[in-house]
Amino acid sequence: MKEIENNEVAFLSRKLLDLNKQLIDSEKAKTRFLSLIANELNNPMTALLGLIPHLASENSEKREKILELAEQEALHLDFHIQNLVAAAEIENGEIKMSYSLIDPEELIDEVLKGLKYWMKEKNIQILIENNLKQKIVTDPQKLHLIIKNLLANACAYGNADSTVKIAINCNGSKLNIDVNNQGEAPKVEFKPQIFTRFAQQAGGSVHGLGIGLSIVRGLCELLEGEIDYDTDGESVTFTVTLPLDTKLPDSEAYGSNEFLFESFNDSIEL
Amino acid sequence: MIQGCSTFIHVGQIHVDTSPSAISTVLGSCVAVCLYDTALGLGGMNHYLLPFWNGNGLQSPKFGNIAIPKLIEAMLDAGSSINRMEAKIFGGASMNIGASEAMMIGQKNILVAREILREYRIFIVAEDVGGQNGRKIQLNLERGKVQLKYTTRSDIGNGG
Repeated sequence: MKEIENNEVAFLSRKLLDLNKQLIDSEKAKTRFLSLIANELNNPMTALLGLIPHLASENSEKREKILELAEQEALHLDFHIQNLVAAAEIENGEIKMSYSLIDPEELIDEVLKGLKYWMKEKNIQILIENNLKQKIVTDPQKLHLIIKNLLANACAYGNADSTVKIAINCNGSKLNIDVNNQGEAPKVEFKPQIFTRFAQQAGGSVHGLGIGLSIVRGLCELLEGEIDYDTDGESVTFTVTLPLDTKLPDSEAYGSNEFLFESFNDSIEL
Repeated sequence: MIQGCSTFIHVGQIHVDTSPSAISTVLGSCVAVCLYDTALGLGGMNHYLLPFWNGNGLQSPKFGNIAIPKLIEAMLDAGSSINRMEAKIFGGASMNIGASEAMMIGQKNILVAREILREYRIFIVAEDVGGQNGRKIQLNLERGKVQLKYTTRSDIGNGG
């Protein structure tokens, strides 16, 4: 009996120690996040505010240049805000799913438009290999943000002058979307943490807010899919696996009609 | 029969609505907490998979210790007050007989609901928890009653 009690005390102490460590880490993460927010939101905004007055310039060549810079900053800002809104919605449980029939390749093209300056900056080429010749049923906004985060990461962490490969494959009843980039991969021993918040590698270069992959995982789960990554030393591939639905049900209430029309006759009332 | 629309919630969702709507879900080892305010005809439901947020990933309401306070907050935001809220809890079944781990999840999910509601001083006026059957529930906001039906295993799939 005594031994059991001792074991229990040892177990609880370890647990307490663990929780204490988590608390300290979480305080650190909060502080870091706030300073990141300050930079990542403030810098593009300051740039925008600085650029806008110059748009009054007469010189049309100069104006075009400024417009381009302003668009670049606005796209950065928009991306961060989209991610923050998504994280807040997931954490609040108020995310609404809205399914429709879409062509994944068109959606990827749309994402690429929003990332054109990221690619230009590092001279990154995009290669899309689409082996799926049909449309799929999914929530386009969610998938858009998933792919946008993966591609933005591929641009941020990928080597300059390299090619980012996107592959869309159908694997039985699953849809796989692979995003592959040349460059240093997250370390394998870091894998359990990579999809959690604020998990940027210590010592590595810091990009963004450190919430992208946690949002990707959250959104993949909402779509009843998964996210994982693999590396071969020179490149890293992130794979999104989603259920492959190709038919939109007649009912508007997709995913929510499981028993709307079933009666609750003979049910228990509490 | 419900007059308004019925909203179906999945794992990790929280929904608050008013009479005459209804909120429904299907539960296995997951637990749903239903809160109801008779005076306002206002009610809400959550649906969580695991008792505690493990400190990783987003703090989503897939976890009881996140989902229950969030539901209470949502009720307060909608104009209710703690002393008018009453709670009903459902789910927490042991879906795989023999798998002790799975059994514990259902039990822990129930435990966390009771603990947190007690902390907030919200009374549990009805419950149907544990056991080995999945449940379909529908919270009718016109009357503040919950209709419950046990499911066969095939209805649940791998759902919560």
